[in-house]
Amino acid sequence: MDKIWLRSYPAGVPPEIDPRAHSSLVELLESSCERFRDRVAFSSMGARMSYGELDRLSRDFAAFLRHDASVARGERVAIMLPNLLQYPVALFGVLRAGAVAVNVNPLYTAAELEYQLADSGASVAVVLENFAATFERAQSAARVRCVVTTRAGDLLPPLRRTLVNFALRYLKRAVPRFSLPGSVGFRDALARGATRTLDAAAPSPYDTALLQYTGGTTGRARGAILTHGNMVANVEQTAAWIGIRLKPGEETVITALPLYHIFALTANLLVFLKLGGHNVLVADARDLPRLIALLGSTRFSAITGVNSLYNALLNARGFAAVRSANGGALKVAVAGGMALQRSVAERWQAAMGVTLIEGYGLTEAAPVVCANPIDLAAFNGSIGLPLPSTEVAILDEHGAELPPDEVGEICVRGPQVMRAYWNAPEETAEAFNAEGWLRTGDMGSMDARGFFRVVDRRKDVIVVSGFKAWPAEIEDVIMLHPGVRDVGVAGVPDEGSGEAVAAYIVRKDPNLTAAAVLEHCRQRLTGFKLPKRIEFRERLPKTPIGKVLRRRLRENEGPMHG
Amino acid sequence: MADYPAQLAREHVLYDGTAVTLRPIRRGDDALEREFIEELSGESRYLRFQKWVNAPSEKLIHFLTDVDYDRHMALVCTLARPGGEQLLGEARYVAAADGRSCEFGIMIADDWHNSGIAGLLMEALMRIARERGIGLMEGQVLSSNRVMLRFARALGFRVESVPGDPGTRRIVKRL
Repeated sequence: MDKIWLRSYPAGVPPEIDPRAHSSLVELLESSCERFRDRVAFSSMGARMSYGELDRLSRDFAAFLRHDASVARGERVAIMLPNLLQYPVALFGVLRAGAVAVNVNPLYTAAELEYQLADSGASVAVVLENFAATFERAQSAARVRCVVTTRAGDLLPPLRRTLVNFALRYLKRAVPRFSLPGSVGFRDALARGATRTLDAAAPSPYDTALLQYTGGTTGRARGAILTHGNMVANVEQTAAWIGIRLKPGEETVITALPLYHIFALTANLLVFLKLGGHNVLVADARDLPRLIALLGSTRFSAITGVNSLYNALLNARGFAAVRSANGGALKVAVAGGMALQRSVAERWQAAMGVTLIEGYGLTEAAPVVCANPIDLAAFNGSIGLPLPSTEVAILDEHGAELPPDEVGEICVRGPQVMRAYWNAPEETAEAFNAEGWLRTGDMGSMDARGFFRVVDRRKDVIVVSGFKAWPAEIEDVIMLHPGVRDVGVAGVPDEGSGEAVAAYIVRKDPNLTAAAVLEHCRQRLTGFKLPKRIEFRERLPKTPIGKVLRRRLRENEGPMHG
Repeated sequence: MADYPAQLAREHVLYDGTAVTLRPIRRGDDALEREFIEELSGESRYLRFQKWVNAPSEKLIHFLTDVDYDRHMALVCTLARPGGEQLLGEARYVAAADGRSCEFGIMIADDWHNSGIAGLLMEALMRIARERGIGLMEGQVLSSNRVMLRFARALGFRVESVPGDPGTRRIVKRL
């Protein structure tokens, strides 16, 4: 195909990358640790970890997994951690042991977690003890034989470690009681691994690195099989794109988005690992005062986020001081995961003097597919140009390529595209067309210069701050409430999160309250899936044949619940 | 209430040699219909009703089985089994108030996809609608339901987008 977008590439960005620049993420890690040994790789809660320490600790953890937990090549290891120093140690430990990492949202409820553990077949898990009680409840159905628990402060220097661990456990009571017989503490695991000689795995590009879960129509999440080759390719592609502004060994990136999500995992952790950069880990981005203080005290040169995060920062007290404190150090600001709003992009540019670059991707493509040029003068409402070595086409219903400016389905081919979904041949077959194009399910168009635009989504999915919520899953949960006769769920526009979940309920129990429904949902659904709006209706709008009319659900919006 | 239109029943042999019966649904089919819907995967139920349906309610079963064969017509495809029948699929239409157009819906048991049943049911349903003077058949399909959209196109339906609702497509065919 004619890659007309290549003519719009900024100077210095190559049309193609070498998808085999590294044989695996393990080799990428080892090469960066050797090259940048004394540089800071990660920092968190005021403590730092050098590339040399990352090398040693991840090796020790890998040795523990291989020799103490008897993890075999290709076995799945669940990682249920927020952005702490333990995350990169656990991730690279898993990969160096030749195992497959399964990222788990730490805020999952027991039911959500249980499904993911069972579907992935994870046999080992690394869990922050704050979430261990949830893990304990979910574990019954799964076959996890070894659990490594960690306390938030485990990799901090001794005094701070004691303070943080004590404060979380006893002062803030942030650690619910749990009992996981036979579990191993993270520090203990590292100590045990340190005494072992690692029988290192050297994964090939075709070996699976990650099972990365993403939602499905009826809410059943599917694991995208991302190989070492997929991940290395997307790191090379993304690094080639933003690298023209960045200097190896000198950059500091703010990592406020969770690393269990593929966007931050690739764009922050892995790309900046390749560049020898310093990832500043933010464990809880919702704690805005602390985040603002961190931004004010860190001369960061790069930042990634979703629209909601940038919006929250711009509206936060004290943000004005961030620019003067930054003193022009910022070179790159990237937005992904959800549509970037013009107002947010323009306010950011005015405040920070750097254009907010919107990109586009999906879990199935490891994830980055398109991005705006790094030298973009101003917000343009597009998702940008396909990355090097990436083909993007707008296809019609029959799989034929459409000319510029016509709307069709955005389809992708490239070395970053997954091979299949885990244990889901039907979904896999539906995800690709006969010519091997990955069908994104998003409708869009390309202009004459090769810039792509998303027009709408083909899926009835609700995107809340970059996280996908499927109506079916939420309806299923709400229907379980005995006071509910019928329910329809739809996405409604939301200033903060882009879209929010709205639930329209027909009551069986006339005394059912919105608060009771919400409490019922809280027990079973992660925060972003919770309905922000709950309305009671006499009946749901349906077609004569009995299909729910989702667009009519959203009409006649009443007041929001308390 | 119209009489049961027994003359619409037909025997068919599927590609794999299985003999099946296509016939209008009747009030005594409650238990068969309930079993059929309960056996469907959550995904299949979701695609048909376009919302999550756990167990079908009495009201729903009544709506599906107690049809008037005039405004509301429903055909089922059944397999003879020792001691009775098994329902493999069903298709129905409900006519608009003016009787000139109708909306259709179809469900096929998960294990019987790609067996040819859907085509048999739709051909028969469209023929009956045409004979009753209905000029237009339409349906609401989830945009993500690629299998159904492909099937509808093969039957000669046109696929249209729905303003304000990217999640669904309207499919239309002149009879």
